[in-house]
Amino acid sequence: MVKTPPFLQPGDIIGIVCPAGYMNIEKAQTCIDTLQQWGYGVRLGKTLGSDSQNYFSGTDEERLADFQQMLDDDEIKAILCARGGYGVGRIIDSIDFKKFKKNPKWIIGYSDITILHAHIFSNYDIASLHSPMASAFNDGGNENEFILSLKNALEGQKIKYQCAPHEFNRRGEAIGELVGGNLSLLTNLTSTSSDIKTKGKILFVEDVGEYLYNIDRMFYHLKRAGKMHRLAGLIVGGFTDNKDTERPFGETAYEIIRDIVKEFKYPVCFGFPVSHEKENYALKVGVGYKLKVSKTKVTLEE
Amino acid sequence: MNRKNFFTSIFGAGALIATPVFGMKGEKYDQPSLIPPYLKEGDTIGITCPAGNITLKEIQPAMEQLESWGYKVRIGNTVGKKDFTFGGTDSERDSDFQQMLDDPSIKAILCARGGYGSIRILDELDFNSFRKNPKWIIGFSDITFIHCHVNRNFGIASIHSKMCNSFPTDWSEAEPIQVESILSIKKALSGEAMKYSVVADVSNRSGTATGILVGGNLKTIETLAGTKSDLLTPGKILFVEDTGEYLYSIDRMFWNLKRTGKLDKLAALVVGGFKIKPDDPGEEFGKTIEEIVWEKVKDYNYPVCFGFPVGHQKENFALKHGVPHRLEINSTGVELHEQ
Repeated sequence: MVKTPPFLQPGDIIGIVCPAGYMNIEKAQTCIDTLQQWGYGVRLGKTLGSDSQNYFSGTDEERLADFQQMLDDDEIKAILCARGGYGVGRIIDSIDFKKFKKNPKWIIGYSDITILHAHIFSNYDIASLHSPMASAFNDGGNENEFILSLKNALEGQKIKYQCAPHEFNRRGEAIGELVGGNLSLLTNLTSTSSDIKTKGKILFVEDVGEYLYNIDRMFYHLKRAGKMHRLAGLIVGGFTDNKDTERPFGETAYEIIRDIVKEFKYPVCFGFPVSHEKENYALKVGVGYKLKVSKTKVTLEE
Repeated sequence: MNRKNFFTSIFGAGALIATPVFGMKGEKYDQPSLIPPYLKEGDTIGITCPAGNITLKEIQPAMEQLESWGYKVRIGNTVGKKDFTFGGTDSERDSDFQQMLDDPSIKAILCARGGYGSIRILDELDFNSFRKNPKWIIGFSDITFIHCHVNRNFGIASIHSKMCNSFPTDWSEAEPIQVESILSIKKALSGEAMKYSVVADVSNRSGTATGILVGGNLKTIETLAGTKSDLLTPGKILFVEDTGEYLYSIDRMFWNLKRTGKLDKLAALVVGGFKIKPDDPGEEFGKTIEEIVWEKVKDYNYPVCFGFPVGHQKENFALKHGVPHRLEINSTGVELHEQ
């Protein structure tokens, strides 16, 4: 049974770190202000707005130390990763989860943060939050339903999401623990100690900026690694800013996925609001959900 | 007599060496090397497209060259076929490759080009006839799927080399290194023991290793992780190359190798060409290929060399995948010899 970290109470402190790419404080300011308006305290890690001159928000050691400190500090009730990018895979095996295992807290983010979600659920059976990160609060984003879904999730509200049907959807009902995240990272984790098990689970996937042939290759990878066969259900989120080769691939991302799953029977929905775009609901990885794909709508509820 | 000596005396040391070693995680036995028959003059080479498409005109230089080497050429149905990026639909590519595998008059299968697509037909192919009568499968890049699959599952050797799309149209104007790369395919096919000398790279780690040579395209090797075609690397000389990838992505792939246990028990690591996609402005990764590799292998002691002439480049020499080699790296250079 998955362990759910305690939901947040007014006054609880959320730590903000950058375990991967660099982000300046200005870009995270609306996020900080909004979390405070929601009644939480905010602790900024050294990796947010660091003096790093390269791609990363700090050296591996700096990013590790910052994350580790947030993980071990009892006052910090949740860790919000300010952004993804690339870098969690470089420190994941160095993070010490001993204290976290005893006192779980919410780890929040998506994209490169998929590694943390997969790792802690697979190894420690602890739930985490796949959700928008700091920059999604900007430009009025802090008032949209997707950012509000993070607020609701942190408060412990059981949420029911609903989205429009898609012509490729396969109808049905599925109950299972939710696993998934960014497709590139799920494939990159295959066969490592952070790899996810998908049997009987509801898998959700999204990606951004990938070549269509590479999306196809990644799904073949998951399929050949036995990760597509015994799903309870599949949630296909956004596959945005796809690229194509000079010789066109000839199928859209959704057509690719439809082909991959055509031999299976489980329900599948396309266009679920989990993506690198604004449409990105907070999802509790590891928690049991019911997915209902019908002719008129798709619902996902805890 | 202790147990170890007991076995040695019954089976003899030779038998013990030939015994397959356990694979990683006990999934499967590693396969001993099976070498397909080398080609003789008059033998037929089939040309097929398991991945990207190519026109008949584009394979003309390769055909002429193979014929000048004394081989006959059979052109598969997929040459000239086009299904978007692919050399025909999955079933067309599958059946063309299958026919080449099963036809006893075809002694080697040259993949016309890489691109993308081998993985889409790999599990549909029936290797039964091929296992009984192995033949050389030739290619690289996307063809790494096939090399790794036949190595892992059947222990059958294959040739990692340039393909039809890399044969120069005009030999008189081709660069010597390109000609030499192409001619190395002939050497490999005719059974010459491969021998390569490469200049030293300051980042190399010296040492000597013997082991079965396996590897190919790094992204492809990652895509095989956790599948039945996944490479077993303990005791092997692993070579890797890639093209068109960002440095961060190459770093992530090397982490996959490391975290799937593919780097800790190697005999040696051979880093070939990496054609890097430049970082986007403001997103500079800040590490070189050499640094990326070094931080993954610094805890081990095996020899490592950089800039080996294998990859998406002119100097891409034929390597016998799945065949034992000896690698010697010292301050003056690198020697890779087939054993």
